[in-house]
Amino acid sequence: MISENKKRFIAPGRHLMMGNEAMSEGALAAGLKYFGGYPITPSTEVIEHLAKRLPEVGGVCMQMEDELASINSVIGASLVGAKAMTATSGPGLSLMVETISMAANLEIPFVFCDVQRNGPGTGFVTEPHHNDLGLVRFSGNGEFQVIALAPMNCQELYDLTITAFNFAETYRCPVFILSDAYLGHLHEVVNIPPKEQILERIIDRELPSPEDFVKKFTYFDDITGEIVIPKPPQMGTDYCPGLFIHQPHNYEGLPTPRPMQYIQLIMDKINKNKDKICLTDQYKMDDAEIVIVAYGLPVRSSYRAVDIARAEGIKVGVFRLITVWPFPDEEVKKAVKDAKAIIVPELNYTGVIAEQVERVTELQTPIIKIPKVCEFHHPQDILNVIKEVAM
Amino acid sequence: MSEIGRMLKNEKPEHPYVPVSYAGSMFNNFATRFCSGCGYGVIGQIFTRIFEDEHLDPHLYPTVIGIGCYSQMLLLVHYRSQKILALHGRAPALATGIKMANPKTKPIIFSGDGDCLGIGGNHFIHLCRRNLDCVIFIFNNSIYAMTGGQGAPTTLYGAQSTTTPYKMFENRSDGVKLALAAGATYVARTTVAHPRTYMKYFKKALTHKGTSVIEIITPCVTYFGRKNLDSLGAEYTGIKGEKMDQGFKMIDWIKRNTVRINQAKFMTEEELFNKYIIGEFRYQTNRPEYSEEYAKIQEIAMKED
Repeated sequence: MISENKKRFIAPGRHLMMGNEAMSEGALAAGLKYFGGYPITPSTEVIEHLAKRLPEVGGVCMQMEDELASINSVIGASLVGAKAMTATSGPGLSLMVETISMAANLEIPFVFCDVQRNGPGTGFVTEPHHNDLGLVRFSGNGEFQVIALAPMNCQELYDLTITAFNFAETYRCPVFILSDAYLGHLHEVVNIPPKEQILERIIDRELPSPEDFVKKFTYFDDITGEIVIPKPPQMGTDYCPGLFIHQPHNYEGLPTPRPMQYIQLIMDKINKNKDKICLTDQYKMDDAEIVIVAYGLPVRSSYRAVDIARAEGIKVGVFRLITVWPFPDEEVKKAVKDAKAIIVPELNYTGVIAEQVERVTELQTPIIKIPKVCEFHHPQDILNVIKEVAM
Repeated sequence: MSEIGRMLKNEKPEHPYVPVSYAGSMFNNFATRFCSGCGYGVIGQIFTRIFEDEHLDPHLYPTVIGIGCYSQMLLLVHYRSQKILALHGRAPALATGIKMANPKTKPIIFSGDGDCLGIGGNHFIHLCRRNLDCVIFIFNNSIYAMTGGQGAPTTLYGAQSTTTPYKMFENRSDGVKLALAAGATYVARTTVAHPRTYMKYFKKALTHKGTSVIEIITPCVTYFGRKNLDSLGAEYTGIKGEKMDQGFKMIDWIKRNTVRINQAKFMTEEELFNKYIIGEFRYQTNRPEYSEEYAKIQEIAMKED
């Protein structure tokens, strides 16, 4: 079996790895069995690496004819019980949204690595630009919730990919990893933990006990008053509905005349579990008067800027979003309650997260965006804004 | 959907395959949502009959259904088969994922002319190119029937549809020729007017290792027949036909408008214009199958140290 396969885990210890490779290795450690992809800069290294590594662990890496086919083959593989993922960039994501919406309806779990690049259109293909979050959070027609994680270094690309697979298995929804062109091509040291430590974290695809075979889709338990998410059904076993039909359906998979209740279920299964899904991190936030809210690569510049500012006596801290979507309303509200000002450095012009911060904070708190496109935030850029605000 | 059973409870027809259909199993009677004269009843019934008679294991023969009128066939086909409704045109891609992640299975794909030769043409070509072990049906009614009778890639020259109100002037695409060029190893075409041939081809496809493409010409009375004359495909004779507004007229027309493959060899291109050639076009067993080839790659990769 795969769990005994020696080649699934690379040797524990320090490895110099490219971001895309670290992500692929994280996926393999999480038990990836199927990868369907189509080459697109800057995510190409993922399919290149997995084309070599997946057959070694008994998995399948398919280079499909286009993005539409790759995402559809991924959900096909997930239906028969393989942990599946795909990797692409912005233009590929826009082709795939239709199927993401279908997968959300049928509650098919899969992981989606989005190595973001500049846009709109083709853009500068090797430059980072966090412009896909707007599409990711409302990807596809219809109302549904997705989970999006934003790593900031290669170590996290490895760790968060394992987390992403666990989220996908638990909450049965598309889970996105928002990497970007610089992070994907960055070479960094990754500390690989021992095999046993990784295996402890992993949630495997298993069948429930036969008496639970009736309820295959998320339902509301009237007795406990909680939303129950059963394990993903598998084609080729008895734990499979007679038909997978992407219409509002009940827990057996049959069309339901109550679409409203159905939408409520697939939204609330994420929203009600925000406390488990929303991962955040705080850096020198204890007495901070100025709060930097950041995710992804700008976090690293923010840490440096905060260190310099603290040395000069300015009370500033970083509130970091690891899960960018669903947006952690309560945590952000608490963190910026006493803030004099909020700084949001983002690798885009619009400020997708800045808008969300605006939504949850009080009106009089000024929010200063630092937009950058296709380039890093230099710590000095953030430091200048901190000093301006502190004066 | 749940109303079907109640409406027709006392009208249960005497038929040996009624209980094995999905509608028959769920609502304890047999009912279709298809228009009168539609060919999908025949197709669904024959699929169910073969599924039952050949004792196909539902775990090993997942059914992937595309989008079209035939999506409603999931109520007709065998209730034990595991069905998934794919997105419009993406059924071959989804079946690729199923087959590759579980190589023991042999997906059966239902797709239509708009689904397979229109929006999903690319997926169809690459499915045939890989020679993935599966059966793909193309139900060709030469029209986009579910959305109300728009012109399809397979609409005959000179035919009328709601998007070609004067006449169809595009060249039609030929699913069989496309499959042959793309490299499918079993390619056949039949019609619903020849159900026994269809059964024969389907059984052969089930035992064949590789991509089996079976195109089935099926009538659409409501959107194709009512608008078109039965002189379609026989323009060279100069006879002005009449509207095919009833099921039997379209079945008659299909029978007249098809040519067997061995007859077609002796006919001119002009005579074959707008005609359907039926028969087996290719049966090739020596080409490697994709998932088997991939298993060899896996073996090589696992051995290396």
